[in-house]
Amino acid sequence: MAAEEHSTGIAGHLQYWTYSFQQDLPVDERNPFMQIHIDTMLVTGFVACLILFFSAWLKGRIVEGAPTGAQNAVESVVGFVNDTVRDNFPVHNPLIAPLALTIFVFIFLCNFFDILPAYLLGHIAEGLGAPAFRPVPTNDLNLPVAMALVVFAMVLYYEFKLKPIHFMKDLLLQPFASLLLDSKNPVVKLLGVVLIPLNLTLKLIEELAKPLSLSFRLFGNMFAGEVIFLLIASLLLVDNMHDLMSVSGVISEIIGFVIGLGWSLFHMFIGLLQAFIFMILTVVYLSIAHQPVEH
Amino acid sequence: MSIDLTLVGQFVVFITMLLLMKKMLYVPLNDAMEARTKKIEAGLAAADAGLEAKAKADAEAVLQLDAAKSKAQEIVSAAERRAAEVKEEAVVKARLEAASIVDAGKEELASEVGRAKQDLREEVAGIALQVAEKIVGVELDAKRHTSLIDATIAKGFDVHE
Repeated sequence: MAAEEHSTGIAGHLQYWTYSFQQDLPVDERNPFMQIHIDTMLVTGFVACLILFFSAWLKGRIVEGAPTGAQNAVESVVGFVNDTVRDNFPVHNPLIAPLALTIFVFIFLCNFFDILPAYLLGHIAEGLGAPAFRPVPTNDLNLPVAMALVVFAMVLYYEFKLKPIHFMKDLLLQPFASLLLDSKNPVVKLLGVVLIPLNLTLKLIEELAKPLSLSFRLFGNMFAGEVIFLLIASLLLVDNMHDLMSVSGVISEIIGFVIGLGWSLFHMFIGLLQAFIFMILTVVYLSIAHQPVEH
Repeated sequence: MSIDLTLVGQFVVFITMLLLMKKMLYVPLNDAMEARTKKIEAGLAAADAGLEAKAKADAEAVLQLDAAKSKAQEIVSAAERRAAEVKEEAVVKARLEAASIVDAGKEELASEVGRAKQDLREEVAGIALQVAEKIVGVELDAKRHTSLIDATIAKGFDVHE
């Protein structure tokens, strides 16, 4: 019975604070796309404002001499991102390093919200009248997908801009290009033409796999981390105050606290790692798009 | 877990943040870092140039020190040579002075001998005259006495000499 209640609590906690733009329609007839996750928008908006206010504050205090305090810390991050881009990018593109920095900082700060106690923001929001609240926006598939699609759009843009013929050839003829280009037999050439849709399908799958893997990796890791947080937190859930003060209640509190603390530290590391992976893969995908054509 | 209009909102948030972060954080910070890097590189280059100049100056100083040492050695040698010459000159001069002193002494001695001879001669003449007066008892003419005595002395001294 208690386990059922806990699972209901976890499932309830995994609900978004949602607003539908089709309030006049019955719930069953509403288009699921025509809604917005208010909690995700609030937290990402808060993080974005935090970063931008900090940037504006720091901008007026930047010195060319020896940096101290906040400038020193941010310069460490910028220097790390610059080094990563320099090591992986063949040419100079002034947009790549800022993009990598934005992705790294934004994802890391969004993941950082996972350090808050699992049910804290949900209960606060509930107290303020919100039906649900999920504090970590990277747990919402919309954010990773949005960032991955921006990266994907940039990859396509640079592929078409820098090597259009090569990209189109790659899109339509690979991996059976030799059938159409190298063979002198008209039947084989015809086969090459017939295989173009298959080539296109394979290439599209390959290209679409990039944003999909990019977004689902981040989403899956953070979502799984949150579920484990909720499971650990449920160790503390007892029915009443009497149970909480009992021997078994105290033991479960201690176990829950120790495991929760360990998982928090590990999950912070995972959050940092996921931010880095998203950033480095973005740089690598864009680097591939900038690679010169080999003849 | 659903894709909905939040995706559009996240597009807007992400792209806005990308553009603003580039303008407000990345570019000014990167400019400051690049300016500092250039300044540090210039400082390091100046330090390298300074070290090179110091090494050059050290080598030059060693050369000049060697030249000064050899020049000092030459001066000392020349001074020693000159001292030896001066010493030699002094010895020669002293010898010459000693010889002239000896010569002067000899001349003085000769004149003293001559003067002593003259005095002796006069004393002997007086004594002889007195002796002759006593023997002969006759007083002789002074002029004649003198000639006699001179002749006698001359004869006598020639015999003894």
